[in-house]
Amino acid sequence: MRRQRTRGTGLVDLLVGTALALAVLSVLTAAVGTGARVLVAGGARGEAEDTAQLAVEAFTFDARRAGWDPRAVGIAPLVEATPSRVTFTADLDANGAVDASSEEKTAHVCTGVGRLSRIIGRQSLPLADGLSRCAFRYLDATGTAIAVPAAGLSPTALAGVRAVALDLTLLPSGLRGRADRTVLVALRRAS
Amino acid sequence: MSRGATVLPAALVAVAVGAVLGAAVVEVGRVEVALAGRRRATVDALHAVDGCVAETLAAVTPAWDLSALLVGPDGVVGTPDDGQIALPAGCTGRAGPPPGAAGPPRALVTVEARTRRARRSVDALVGLAVAPGVPALLWLTGSTASETIAGTMSLDGADAGAPPSHWAALAAPDEPETLDAWLALESGHVTVAANTVPPLVAAPPPLAVLAARVRAASPAGPEVLVPSAPAVALAYVAGDLTIVDRRQGAGLLFVDGALDIHAPFDFTGLVVASRGIRIASGASCTVSGALWVGVPTPFAPSLLVDGGLALRRDPTALGVADGLAPLPRRAVLLGIRDLG
Repeated sequence: MRRQRTRGTGLVDLLVGTALALAVLSVLTAAVGTGARVLVAGGARGEAEDTAQLAVEAFTFDARRAGWDPRAVGIAPLVEATPSRVTFTADLDANGAVDASSEEKTAHVCTGVGRLSRIIGRQSLPLADGLSRCAFRYLDATGTAIAVPAAGLSPTALAGVRAVALDLTLLPSGLRGRADRTVLVALRRAS
Repeated sequence: MSRGATVLPAALVAVAVGAVLGAAVVEVGRVEVALAGRRRATVDALHAVDGCVAETLAAVTPAWDLSALLVGPDGVVGTPDDGQIALPAGCTGRAGPPPGAAGPPRALVTVEARTRRARRSVDALVGLAVAPGVPALLWLTGSTASETIAGTMSLDGADAGAPPSHWAALAAPDEPETLDAWLALESGHVTVAANTVPPLVAAPPPLAVLAARVRAASPAGPEVLVPSAPAVALAYVAGDLTIVDRRQGAGLLFVDGALDIHAPFDFTGLVVASRGIRIASGASCTVSGALWVGVPTPFAPSLLVDGGLALRRDPTALGVADGLAPLPRRAVLLGIRDLG
C-alpha cells in the first residue's frame, strides 16, 4: 500500500512567508514615510512661495502708485527710505493732501525678527515671517544704487530716488531650497 | 492566529495610508500649480496693461497740451466722443480730465487689458514732459524706409552728464526693429557715437502748429544766418531756404519748406525743415542741438545727404530754442495705480 504524503505548511514555508511579508511591509512603511515627508515639504514649499509672492505683490502695489498726484500739488512718492523701512505716499482720494492715517501713507518695514510688515497708520499687517533676508535698495536715475545712511535718505536724496527694490529670502524650516524674490519698481515723477 | 495573518492586514493598511498620502501629495501639487498659473496670468495681464499705457502714450503727438487725449477723434471739445482714445488691440479705456486746476496739462486715462486668462485695469495720470521735443538728435516726420544717405551722417547723442542725459540718434514713427535695421543698413554712411541711445519710436513732430506759433512770435528772417559769430535768434523762412555760402546761426530756425545746403552750415539750437533737407556733395551741415525734418510735397525722401551731416547733443540748445518759441512736449506717465 502506497503511503499518501500529507500536504501542509512547514516551518520553512512560514519563515519564508513571514520574511517576504516583513520585507513588503518595510517597503510600504518607507514609502508611506517618504510620502508624508513629501507632503509636508510640498505644503511648506507652496506656503513659502505664496507668502513671498504675496509680499512682493503688496510691495509692488504700493510702490507703483506712490506719488499719485492727480491734482498736481506736489505729492512726493517717498517720504522715508532706510535699508529696512520705506514709506510711500499718494493722494488716492484726489483731495490734494495725504492722510497719514489711511492707505495714502503706507510703510513697508523689515523687522529684526525676520518679518516684513505693511504699516498703515497704527495698523501693522505682517506680510511675511521667517525671513532670512529682507532689505530695501534705492536706485537713482542712472540705475546706480544709492548709499543709504542708517538714519535714512535726506529729503534731497529722496528726491533723487527713481526706483525702489525689495530683496526677500524666505527659508522655511525643513526645506533645503529657499524662496527668493527681488522686485524693482520705478517711481513716477514729473520729469 | 499565524504571523502571516497579522502581516497581511498591516500591509493592507500601509497600502491604504500610502494611497491617501499619495493622493494628498498630488492634490497639493495640483493646487500649487494652479496657484502659480493664476499668479502668472495676473502678472501677464499687468504687463499687458502697462504695455497698453506705454503704447498709447507713444502714439500721442507731442504738443502743447493734452487735448489729443481729451477731445476724442473729432477734435472738438464738448462732444459725445470726448475721452475716446485709440488703444492697442486687447485694451479698452477712456481719458478724462483729472480733478483740480486745469494746469499743468494732465489727463486721467483708465485702461483695461484682457489676456486669455486674466484682466487688469489701471488709472494712468498723463502729463507733459518737462523737457521740450523728444530726446533725439534727428526727429523725422515720415518713415525711415525712404531715407538714403549717400554722403556721411554723424550722430553723437552722448552728453558729458549722466546716462539719462544721453540722446537717441533719431526718432521716427517706425517700429523699433525698423529703425534699428535702417541704422544698420546705412552703417557705411552713418556713424553713431558711443553712448548714443538707440532710436526712439515717436509720433511725428507737429510742424504745422509749430510753424504757426513761430510766425506768431514775430521771428526774424534768414538774415540772422551770418558767416560768423551768430546771435541767438528766432528765425522763420517761408518757403525753401538755400545756403550757398558759409553760414552760422543759433537759436531756432524754422524753414517752412526745404532746406537746401550747398556750403558749410553750422547751427546751435533747433533747425526745423518742414519739407526735408538736402545737403549737396561737398557741403556740410553741423547742428549742435536737434534737427526736425518734415516730408516733402509731393512725397520724396526727407533726407538727401550727399555731403556731410553732423548732429551732436547740446544740453542747452533745445532749452534756448524753447525760450524763443515754446516747443511741443511728449506725453509722459506721471503716475499709475492698479485698480484690480
